[in-house]
Amino acid sequence: MNPKEEREVEILEDIGSKFDVEGKIQRERRIWISIDNKELIKLCGWLKNQGFEHLSAISVTDWVKEGRFEVTYHLWSYKDKILLTLKTKVDREKPVIKSVISIWEESAQIHERELHELFGVKFKGNLDLSSLFLEDWHGPPPFRKDFDWREYVRDEFYDKENEREKVYYD
Amino acid sequence: MVKRSKKAKTMRKLIKAIWIFNWFNSCGFTELVPVVGSRWDMERFGMIIVGSPRHADVLFIAGYQTLKSIKRAKRVYEQMAEPRVVIALGSCTMTGGMYWDSYNTIKRLEDYLPVTIYIPGCPPRPEAIFEACEKIFKHVKELE
Repeated sequence: MNPKEEREVEILEDIGSKFDVEGKIQRERRIWISIDNKELIKLCGWLKNQGFEHLSAISVTDWVKEGRFEVTYHLWSYKDKILLTLKTKVDREKPVIKSVISIWEESAQIHERELHELFGVKFKGNLDLSSLFLEDWHGPPPFRKDFDWREYVRDEFYDKENEREKVYYD
Repeated sequence: MVKRSKKAKTMRKLIKAIWIFNWFNSCGFTELVPVVGSRWDMERFGMIIVGSPRHADVLFIAGYQTLKSIKRAKRVYEQMAEPRVVIALGSCTMTGGMYWDSYNTIKRLEDYLPVTIYIPGCPPRPEAIFEACEKIFKHVKELE
């Protein structure tokens, strides 16, 4: 083993002893772990105390066939210089997950607001989930895999009778 | 002496010193910087960029407009004093350009604002912009 990876192993074992997680060291300074969403807040709080102070991003992946959303948190530790990727899954039919604003506050707020807009994931505890870019949006959340944006655009913007726009219907 | 209509007189004043307000949403402005710079230098035609729509005669709109930004563009347009001209740059304003199938961009600018002239291109060359302005000059000079 690379001697540089000692700290990564230490962190991973530390998490494994306290929480029920699946994890691996992706490569030097990169750790991937996944956890059940019920334990998420507890783990996040613990991780912040361990030095993962910086929440770089939250992202959502839509697994249509599986019927789940995968919520991913990217955490950076200034102390150890390690990027920890934390994954958790929520049901696609009822996408409600606890918000992490109690832990990372403002930096979590804007990400959750955007993901609520684009995927329709509801973050319980986040008080301002109003739309960010999509003002007056009436369609379904546009980043979901089952959203047919071409059809939506045809209905919303184009005219089949218009000579110039007929090609979009071919 | 030729007797000109009131409209012709005002329009002649307008083309002597064209004050421009830019409303650029995307790559539009970076592609238009040469027009401001010394090589093409739009100031030799009396064109200058101003900071407030209330002082502007011409509104330059470049690039795609999203459903959110078009509302702001309308508000900018409403603040401009008469007579006012809207010049739309780039293929994005005409058809949506490369965003033709985007759920969040508008496809025809003329549905939202009274466009005076379109300049095609992705992006339009500085020469094309001057040609468009020349067309407006010519049109104004023919007004009697």
